[in-house]
Amino acid sequence: MGGPVASSSARRGLLPGLATPTPGSAVWYYRRSPLGLLAAGVIAVFVVAAVAAPWLTPFADQGRGDAELPSRLMAPNAVNWLGTDDLGRDILARLLFGARTALIVAVGVVAAAVIIGVLVGAIAGYFGGWVDEILMRITDTFLAFPPLLLAVVVAAALGPSLRNTIVAIAVSWWPWYARQVRAQVLSLRERPFVQALQVVGVPTRQIITRHVIPNAMTPVWVQSTADLGAAVLTAAGLSFVGLGPRPPTADWGVMIADGRQFVLSGQWWIAGFAGLAITLVALAFNLMGDVIRDVTDPKTRGNL
Amino acid sequence: MGFRRLLAVAMGLSLLATACGDSGSDEAGSGGGRFVYANPFPISDLDPSSAFSSENVVLQNVYETLTTYNPPGASDLVSGALAESWEANDDATVWTFNLREGVTFHDGAALTAQAVVDSLQRTIDLDLGAAFILLPIDSMEAVDDLTVQFNLAYPAPMDLVMSSNYGVYIMSPEAVSQDDAWFNEGNEAGTGPYTISSFTPGESTVLTQYEDYWGGWTDGQIAEAEIQLVEDPVLAEQLVRGGDADFTYNLPFDSYDALSSEDGLTVVRAQSMTNLFGLLNHERLSPEVREAMVLSFPYDDVVESLYGGESSRAQGIVPQAVWGSSDSLTLPETDLARAAELISAAGAEGTEVTYSFDAGTTEQQQIGEVWKTNLADIGIDLVLDPLTFDARWEIAQADPANAQDVFTMFWFPTFVTPYDFLFSLFHSEDAPFFNLGYYSNPEFDTLIDDGDAVSGLSPDEAADLFTKAQQILIEDNAAVFMLDVPNTEVISSDVEGHVANPAYANVVRFYNLTR
Repeated sequence: MGGPVASSSARRGLLPGLATPTPGSAVWYYRRSPLGLLAAGVIAVFVVAAVAAPWLTPFADQGRGDAELPSRLMAPNAVNWLGTDDLGRDILARLLFGARTALIVAVGVVAAAVIIGVLVGAIAGYFGGWVDEILMRITDTFLAFPPLLLAVVVAAALGPSLRNTIVAIAVSWWPWYARQVRAQVLSLRERPFVQALQVVGVPTRQIITRHVIPNAMTPVWVQSTADLGAAVLTAAGLSFVGLGPRPPTADWGVMIADGRQFVLSGQWWIAGFAGLAITLVALAFNLMGDVIRDVTDPKTRGNL
Repeated sequence: MGFRRLLAVAMGLSLLATACGDSGSDEAGSGGGRFVYANPFPISDLDPSSAFSSENVVLQNVYETLTTYNPPGASDLVSGALAESWEANDDATVWTFNLREGVTFHDGAALTAQAVVDSLQRTIDLDLGAAFILLPIDSMEAVDDLTVQFNLAYPAPMDLVMSSNYGVYIMSPEAVSQDDAWFNEGNEAGTGPYTISSFTPGESTVLTQYEDYWGGWTDGQIAEAEIQLVEDPVLAEQLVRGGDADFTYNLPFDSYDALSSEDGLTVVRAQSMTNLFGLLNHERLSPEVREAMVLSFPYDDVVESLYGGESSRAQGIVPQAVWGSSDSLTLPETDLARAAELISAAGAEGTEVTYSFDAGTTEQQQIGEVWKTNLADIGIDLVLDPLTFDARWEIAQADPANAQDVFTMFWFPTFVTPYDFLFSLFHSEDAPFFNLGYYSNPEFDTLIDDGDAVSGLSPDEAADLFTKAQQILIEDNAAVFMLDVPNTEVISSDVEGHVANPAYANVVRFYNLTR
């Protein structure tokens, strides 16, 4: 993740003729990866919006779903900066509370997929043989389905709710992590330090959890960062087709689905701002994933 | 893994594209003689004896009934269709219908009185769907080739009954002996102006001209009509805007204003006999909770805000445009303070109540969300549960104790009588069919059955009994009576001849159209 996003030092860094910035400062990051810093900024705003939603808007009740009929379908104005929806709810408040939903889904999905994937991958890679065969065939079964399709099927079977959205996406994503970690572990287990640990008699569980997994995690961190954005997007897709959290939970995908019908009659702001929010957040996580990959990849590190 | 990122970006772009408005395809509009009906609800059953949901748009064009209910403004309630004339004895217990001459079924057979008797008998024997409307019939006979006589067990308005949306379609002798599966493969043998030329369940039904229709054909009439299932209202709106469909309804109410200023489209606002209500589950909700729910419903907000004042609050379960409706009932008003007292006295704070509604039907969701806001204030959590109608109907029929708490539904009359609303939705049932609040009250049952029994002879007396019955429903908090919904449709402006008839809500009679 990005370093401290101190606006004052960033502004100083833009002034010409200043001394080389201190490594680790915002300017230092900005010089090396301006997009990365931008992405970090968007992500920071996203997280703050999600965590502090109730305190950032005077319309917290509307953000949670309370209707305010007298102010239906108002275009952006001084009171409702981004307009209101068909039930008179403030769009900005809905976006802030929707950020909450998105963050919960993103973190939930990636955490669940990483935990399952890493465990399965590490065990399969470390033990090899029939254990590997069985676990990888199971993994392959899941990989045989297009991830979005599998998520749709699982979500449809479980019924619409926030928790089920997380389960549905995590179910279709963990195999990718399992494959990745297994490949890492396959080479790790042949390394002298692992063999030394085995010879000394360190318990297998301890070798896997304390020594093998930590060393196999680098690509997982890169991938999981980018996946946070993909999770936001996939969850929005599921909500859009009616498989997300139930109304009136604020959700960006639902906002687009509900707002879609008003676009035709000229009320673009409901779906428009929600679409913008999804795009920005997904893009930011993607960029951040790239930055982390570049930083951790020895081949590109010098060129940053 | 790269694939998923690509997918992610692609989805982002497509969501953004949707958000920014997608004008849809720009194919040329359908040419003269062809008509596309974008149907928001599925054709689930094409058996004319048992169909009882949203199939009337097909059935009314393929089959005919003895009489039809006239649109508002006509001098008589009903006109003859397959029957040219009819008469009843003074008791309204013996009815004689004289059939039109020269009518043939699509399979070539001629219309006979026996075919009428057999068709109606098929409905009675199957005892599904709208079979209850034929309960008054004690016996039927074909007096001669073109005369049918009904002997009734008690007086009934058979001229009205025979104009029903369901259960009284006349089919050829060949078809009478067929089973449900035969019809649902797209086979039929009615006398109507159109035949079914293809039927793809869940997609479309194509109707083509029946050359030998007794009414004859002239130039400019619709030769082929396609009834397309378009459950997504946004897609339906795009189709009519782009000229790819000629008719639809059930759009979000807010969109009709914009559509009325659109070139090439006409918005039809007609009298309505359709209402919207929420049946309250009597197996799951205590009387106190039911009363609190009734008192917390935002009656005025829904009518004034969501429908822009174009609808009216429901006066009980019988819509105002149906004879025998009442404007003298004592109706509950929104009273959150009283509702909160009831909930607190019953110790029901924190109760979760599920609200089952049609996914994609905007107003049902909006109403749910507004109601939820009110209910939250009195300590009830309304959980909105959007599903397709077929799915929620199945859940509702399976096990009342584990079913939804509120079943939200539109209802239009089977045939125009208060009895249909009262019987179908609230009469005691052995197994749940459309009484999906599982209401049962012998006193109420007797009142409406008595009302039905006198409706053939003295509608005024029947109306009194029906009004009493309605007041009982209100006192028992049997349901939340939301509103009489506006009957609003969109049709291509170059099509002439469509008359919105509230008795056949949203049915288009393609035969009457020219373009």
